[in-house]
Amino acid sequence: MTSVSFAGTRPPRLLVRTLTVTFLTVALLLVVVLVVVMLTVRMQVRQAVAANLESGQRMFAALETRRQREMRAQVAAIADSPSLKAAIDTMQTEARSHGAGANAEAIETIGRELRAVAARVDADALVLTDARGVTIDSAGRLGGQWPRGARTGIVIGTEGDGYDGIIKNGKSVFRVAAVPLQMPDAIVGTLYVATALDRNFADELTRLSGARTAIISDGLIIGTTLTDRAARQFELAVAAAKPVGGVVSLADETFAYRRLVAVGDTMFYALSSIDDSSRAAMAGATISMAWLGVAALVLALVGSFALARLLTAPIGQLSRSLAARAEAPALASPLPLTGSSREIDALTDTFNALMASVAQAEAQTEAAYMGAIRALATALDARDPYTAGHSERVSVLSVAIGRLLGLSDDDLEVLRLGALLHDIGKIGVADEVLRKPGPLTDAEFAAIKEHPVLGARILRSVPFLTPHLPIVELHHERPDGRGYPHGLRGDDIPLAARIVHAADAYDAMTSARAYRGALPSSVALRELWRCAGTQFHAEIVGALANALPGLTSDAEVPVLEEVT
Amino acid sequence: MSRIILASAVVVSLIAAGSIRSVDAQPSDTGTIIGRVKLKPRVGGAALASSAYPTRAVGPRESHPLPEIKNVVVYVKDAAFRGTPAPRKAEIRQEHETFIPHVLAVTRGSTLDFPNDDPIYHNVFSLSSAATFNLGRYPKGDTRAKLLAKSGIVKVFCQIHSHMSATIIVFDHPYFTIPELDGSFEVARVPAGDYTLVGWHERVGERSATVHVERGRTAQVDLSLPVEESR
Repeated sequence: MTSVSFAGTRPPRLLVRTLTVTFLTVALLLVVVLVVVMLTVRMQVRQAVAANLESGQRMFAALETRRQREMRAQVAAIADSPSLKAAIDTMQTEARSHGAGANAEAIETIGRELRAVAARVDADALVLTDARGVTIDSAGRLGGQWPRGARTGIVIGTEGDGYDGIIKNGKSVFRVAAVPLQMPDAIVGTLYVATALDRNFADELTRLSGARTAIISDGLIIGTTLTDRAARQFELAVAAAKPVGGVVSLADETFAYRRLVAVGDTMFYALSSIDDSSRAAMAGATISMAWLGVAALVLALVGSFALARLLTAPIGQLSRSLAARAEAPALASPLPLTGSSREIDALTDTFNALMASVAQAEAQTEAAYMGAIRALATALDARDPYTAGHSERVSVLSVAIGRLLGLSDDDLEVLRLGALLHDIGKIGVADEVLRKPGPLTDAEFAAIKEHPVLGARILRSVPFLTPHLPIVELHHERPDGRGYPHGLRGDDIPLAARIVHAADAYDAMTSARAYRGALPSSVALRELWRCAGTQFHAEIVGALANALPGLTSDAEVPVLEEVT
Repeated sequence: MSRIILASAVVVSLIAAGSIRSVDAQPSDTGTIIGRVKLKPRVGGAALASSAYPTRAVGPRESHPLPEIKNVVVYVKDAAFRGTPAPRKAEIRQEHETFIPHVLAVTRGSTLDFPNDDPIYHNVFSLSSAATFNLGRYPKGDTRAKLLAKSGIVKVFCQIHSHMSATIIVFDHPYFTIPELDGSFEVARVPAGDYTLVGWHERVGERSATVHVERGRTAQVDLSLPVEESR
């Protein structure tokens, strides 16, 4: 039933089909879950990074304010130099009073003191001005930007006192901390510690904060550690709004940014790439998710295979049982129940019931055939009172002989039926010939000899009697080749035909005839032994002799008749 | 208490100056300049806010007992004086981390003492064109003297206490004075002639007025200085 081949392409196995469906379902579910999880992770990482930046930058802003204050405190301590203040005070007093004659001693003292302070302070420039903001002297790397006698530039304070803020000196912008130089009755000057807000400063901020920095003054970036493109975009994004913080996309990267300090129109921003930060976190997550995915896929494969097996195994088992049944239809045992599912068991039960009814129908058909044939044989025997029961007896004797010779059950069955029908051809022989008490003429004898061929011809029309045909056709052949209808010799004659030949002769001899009484069994056996090797096969005769005692001997004793 | 001591010290020094002046061998065709110095509130010169980081615990105002008028010197700017004016003896004390008096005027050749009345070390130095010196550090009860041989402004400071300062004006002539507490002043025995009378303050510089001195007469000139009175 399984090996039915269809026209065209064969459909896939049920297992494959089930496996495909379940695996695809699980895999799809998995992919959806993975995607959702990855998106969630990415979102959360971004939020965490932004929050981190926020707090980090808040802290940095506080530190920066404190640093500036401490710078002022440091400079205040350093600037409280008696020599410096004395020199300035002296110089200013003299200038006011005479208006001539520069005090070389004082100027030199100022220069020396300034350089000493500059050496101790980390600044780009140290500028000393008088109370009106006119430069007295300067020192430091960029001190040259403040020539003596020039004004310091515009100071924008953060706290309104002018001592902490931004100086714009020409094109350069400086972050300054300033301290006044105080005498008891007056302030004689101001000391500015200036740090240039340029690339160096941005680098320094970046080094301290770990974030990228941008310094914007008057809407223009004056120092940054961003790339040129990102800097230009940030300039555009920030120039108008001057936001405190947020998220901005620069040069295809997402940055969280925060304003550290704002002094007038000058602002310090720290920026951190969310992408950079989340990339590392995402890399870790991606790797573990990938492992998880692989594991889940394997699990899905195994699981769906198991599921598919669970579904298809009973069907496969049933299918194999049916296949076995188809190959050996004789074994009429019912198919075993798989016990795997109610539906499959119901199917098995139904099939078993169907097969049982088919077998029963076959048996009935066969029985009907057998009945008909038996009736035919009986009717034939009944034409002559002397041969009544002959076919039946020959059949019984033949089976007994066959059993002794070790024939199989199938062969015995063929033998039994073949023996029953062996004289069926006599239907075509006239009654007066059959019943003729006297010797037969040659023509009559020739008519009698036709009966095996005639019988075979009659039975050939029934397909399931094909195995019995040789018995019917050849049961008058003799080992010495003098038999009819074909004159076969020795081993050319089928065993069943030889058995029936001997049994037929024995029964004929032990049955009464119109012209004689029944011969005793011993006489008949003797006669058979006499003709063994010529008319009968010797081993058959031996077997017959052995088989007789096992048979009921209630048969009438026929008269001896020479049967040819 | 200290004010009285200081005031008396000033009076002593003025008396001393007067007594020296009396022995000057000057022609008798002289006149006297009198007047009053008025301190105007400073205009448009509001001081920058004081630093958030005061340099010392001792408040400077507390140790600045003399009124601002005592920091003014009135003198004749272009007076000619033949010979050397009589040297004077004067002193600037160091008390409560302050030089007292804060402003002093002397003639060239005078010697100045700097006694230390504080229980801590002080130092006296100057970077002025007229006199550059450093008297070193010395303890309470000790003193140092300095001869001022050149005319001009001499500012002295303490190397230890950066808020301490004093100003001495050294003149080639004796025609100068420091006003009284009410601002009035008198410069006596000035040779007849036309002069520029100057009122000087260290934070203002010079404010001048012309004056005509006649023999045996007294000329009246008032001066005005834009100085803030001590707060």
